[in-house]
Amino acid sequence: MLTYIIRRLLLVPVLLFGVTVLIFGMLQFLSPAERAALYVRDIPRNEKMVDGIIKIYGLDQPIHIQYWRWLTGTVNETTGERTGGILYGDFGYSRTASQPVADLIRQKFPNTLDLTIWAAAPVILVGIWLGVQAAVKHNSLVDQLARVFSIVGTSLPTFVFGLMALMIFYVGLDWFAPGRIADVSSRVIHSPEFQRFTGLLTFDALLNGRFDIFFDALRHMVLPILTLSYISWATFLRVTRASMLETLRQEYVVTARAKGLPEKTVINKHARPNAMIPVITLAGFQVVGLLGGVVITETVFNYPGIGQAAANAAQQLDVITVLGFALFNGFILIAANLVVDVLYAMIDPRVRLS
Amino acid sequence: MRKLFTLFSLLVIASFVLVACGGTAAPATTANTDSGTSSSTDSGSSSSAEYHSADPTTFVEATIGDIDTLDPALAYDTASATVIFNVYETLVFYDGESTDKFVPQLAESWELSDDGTVYTFHIRPGVTFHEGGELTASDVAYSYQRGILQGSYSSPQWMLAEPFFGVGNDDISIIVDGGASADDRAAMQAADPAALVAACEQIKAAIVADDAAGTVTMTLAQPWGPFLPTIANAWGSIMDQEWVVANGGWDGSCDTWQNFYAMTAAEDPFTGIANGTGAFKLERWTPGEEIVLARNENYWREPAKLERVVIQGIDEWGTRFAMLQAGDADVAVVNRQDAPQVDPLAGEWCTWNLDTESYECEAVGDGPLRVRVGRPGLTQDVILFTFDIATAGNPYVGSGALDGNGVPADFFADVNIRKGFAYAFDYQTLIDEVFLGEAVQPVSLPLPGMPGYDANAPHYTFDLAAAEAAFKAADLDHDGIPAGDDPEGDVWTTGFRVQMLYNLGNTSRQNVAEIMAANLAVVNPNFRVEVLGLPWPSYLTAQRASQIPVMTGGWLEDIHDPHNWYQPYTTGTYGNRQRLPEALVEQFREYLNAGVAETDPAARHQIYLDFNQAYYENVPGVPIVNATGHGFSQRWVQGQVLNAIFPGNYYYTIYKD
Repeated sequence: MLTYIIRRLLLVPVLLFGVTVLIFGMLQFLSPAERAALYVRDIPRNEKMVDGIIKIYGLDQPIHIQYWRWLTGTVNETTGERTGGILYGDFGYSRTASQPVADLIRQKFPNTLDLTIWAAAPVILVGIWLGVQAAVKHNSLVDQLARVFSIVGTSLPTFVFGLMALMIFYVGLDWFAPGRIADVSSRVIHSPEFQRFTGLLTFDALLNGRFDIFFDALRHMVLPILTLSYISWATFLRVTRASMLETLRQEYVVTARAKGLPEKTVINKHARPNAMIPVITLAGFQVVGLLGGVVITETVFNYPGIGQAAANAAQQLDVITVLGFALFNGFILIAANLVVDVLYAMIDPRVRLS
Repeated sequence: MRKLFTLFSLLVIASFVLVACGGTAAPATTANTDSGTSSSTDSGSSSSAEYHSADPTTFVEATIGDIDTLDPALAYDTASATVIFNVYETLVFYDGESTDKFVPQLAESWELSDDGTVYTFHIRPGVTFHEGGELTASDVAYSYQRGILQGSYSSPQWMLAEPFFGVGNDDISIIVDGGASADDRAAMQAADPAALVAACEQIKAAIVADDAAGTVTMTLAQPWGPFLPTIANAWGSIMDQEWVVANGGWDGSCDTWQNFYAMTAAEDPFTGIANGTGAFKLERWTPGEEIVLARNENYWREPAKLERVVIQGIDEWGTRFAMLQAGDADVAVVNRQDAPQVDPLAGEWCTWNLDTESYECEAVGDGPLRVRVGRPGLTQDVILFTFDIATAGNPYVGSGALDGNGVPADFFADVNIRKGFAYAFDYQTLIDEVFLGEAVQPVSLPLPGMPGYDANAPHYTFDLAAAEAAFKAADLDHDGIPAGDDPEGDVWTTGFRVQMLYNLGNTSRQNVAEIMAANLAVVNPNFRVEVLGLPWPSYLTAQRASQIPVMTGGWLEDIHDPHNWYQPYTTGTYGNRQRLPEALVEQFREYLNAGVAETDPAARHQIYLDFNQAYYENVPGVPIVNATGHGFSQRWVQGQVLNAIFPGNYYYTIYKD
């Protein structure tokens, strides 16, 4: 188990190197002028502009030099200052976000983390509960409804659901709003009195004793959470239901019932823990997905998280930013996988003992 | 739980019905620049009593994308310029909606010498910057010197460099080493130190401050007609020298300026901070989210009516639309294809009157929005012909010969071929079908109201008989016999095959090519135009390599002056790519230099009228369409100055009911 984890950890830098080389390599299919064109939104205002961009960003250098530059940065010979270089903690400058990539991640990730924390419980727990109910009441009306719900949830595009939620709950009822926070609250959190302890808005609001800000932040998260939940529940429901049904057919469950144990005990003590094994894997992936930013949901609700920023960068072919996000997501994915593995070992002795 | 599901299902069904009630989308064309950033003074029309903003102190704009930089010397996009021209100020400003009349701003007054080369600006006393510094003549001179020395072709500085260094000398690198180090700081730093100091001293000698007298004297290399329009825009903004130096900017010394040359937004210390004299201060910029401006209480004029301005970047149309419906956005960017969805919310419909050059508004119901339509925009599309197509390895010219299966390199060098194309284009169909009637056919490169604009100027119309006559008059095999009478066969008998390109995603340019292809096939079935879309990078590269035989180009003006239109289409960006013959370029350059040097308005007008005539007769390109605006704002928004040249909203005059 331990050696397995260590082996996996050693793979991290290799994987990250692979990802960045892949993205960098793909870009080299474009000529320097074509890559410079990515910096131009429309017809260049001056014909010399494109040549200038090639010079300024060193786009005509060979790939290994450009890649090395990205890794180690450049040193100005006259001033001796180093700019850039991910090995020095500088992920480069994001053209689409008009700030260093590291700052962009620092600015957006807390919002995504905040959303993940508040969304995880409804997404996972309710999803599992629905699945268990559907399995236990197999072929009842509840089960049939759950199946319909699951099919609709799987097939309805996120953006359609999100926009409908906006039309009903924001335009129609004015209960919840898009964005991160109301303008009134925004003035408060940017004032010097409001201290940022964690960077997570909801927790900072509580720590500052500002319940109005806390509830305003939550109010802006309701629709994204509802959308994420609705889309995820369908998946959770399916997986939990199938796993639970399979477990309920196992001989040890039959034995437990034959011993005359109450049905509640049979389900909660005997069947459910074993049925949870595939569900935990799924939950791990779901949380990683949330942490990596949920592009469509964040975009529809104008929620300034990492997904919205990454999508924006990718659309405008802002390679440096995309690389930064790829690295960052790589770290998250690996860390989350480790956590899932440990959880596995705790639940399933077979993993521990092998 | 079951009840919940039922309720939820009902909601879902209800919302489907709601969505189904929405309008259908028109084909995508240009983004609407008339949305609140529109033009002509707000009629301040009857905003009926029931339209009141929940928060009249704050103006919220829902827009697309973000700004590049807040450094006025570097910013060259409308989003950045919108913030800059509300936070910083220039020496002169536009007179209301006028694009060519100017009023004093940071300059109280100015004089121009008799020979048209020396401007003397009297700097307004008692003006302070947001951070407390006092405006001096030195600040003005320094701001101009810094910008021109910072240079770079990605910036607007080429427009400011030319008046001081002469036509064609559009970057400080040309003065240092003939342009060898253009946009290359390392090369600039390694240039001859004496040349570096000399270039810097040359610009310092041309822009001289006298703090005691409170004047700045600018000596131009030649008379420059559009000088005031050039310095009135965001790149003419005045910064506080002490503040710039304190924040890591150029110290004003001729020994160090090269270290700041060709600055990018990433390195520029003034990308994220601002300190101007304008009616609004930069309170906060959260990249990718919002820009917040706060009223400057110490403004040298009466403070603005609005307390705050919030500009939110919201790329998702559905979200912007929802904010508009909920009344949370005072103005929002609405793309042309989305406009029909918003039109039913109009309660006030304002139509641009081309004769009176103003909007005429009428109430059309009790909808919450004011709609403005019909105003010609500041951008127009032009079909452009390449005179000497680069045929080596060029996939867009078929066989590359006059054999019916391609076009030779000099295909468009024959003026009759160009005229044939110009007559074969159906301008009205493009306007009616693609722009849904929301466009006009331009008669010349200059826009209405500019010197050289004449509503009755000669221009090409859709005329298939004239197109046929033109093609028959061509002589592509150069035997002196027109194609229509050539027994050995010429373009009229062999026909041709050529590809007309557009950048993928630009539907209106695609439609232009399709209309052209359809009509040429009517003129002669052997005339084959194939429509091909390329991804933007490839399109731009092919264009720069002069590989595209015929294409649609567009230009959004920087300054409202014919020079800014003729330069790119003759000697600049497009003219170069079209490889216009040297004799023609020379003819155009004479007009260009005469036009820019002439300071007498009547004489200038005549020069550009002649220029129009030459452009019409030689047909290097054909202006085909100028889209008119279609913008939306809440009806409680009042006082907008809708000047066409403004990069966006000018918040100083705006208030909300």
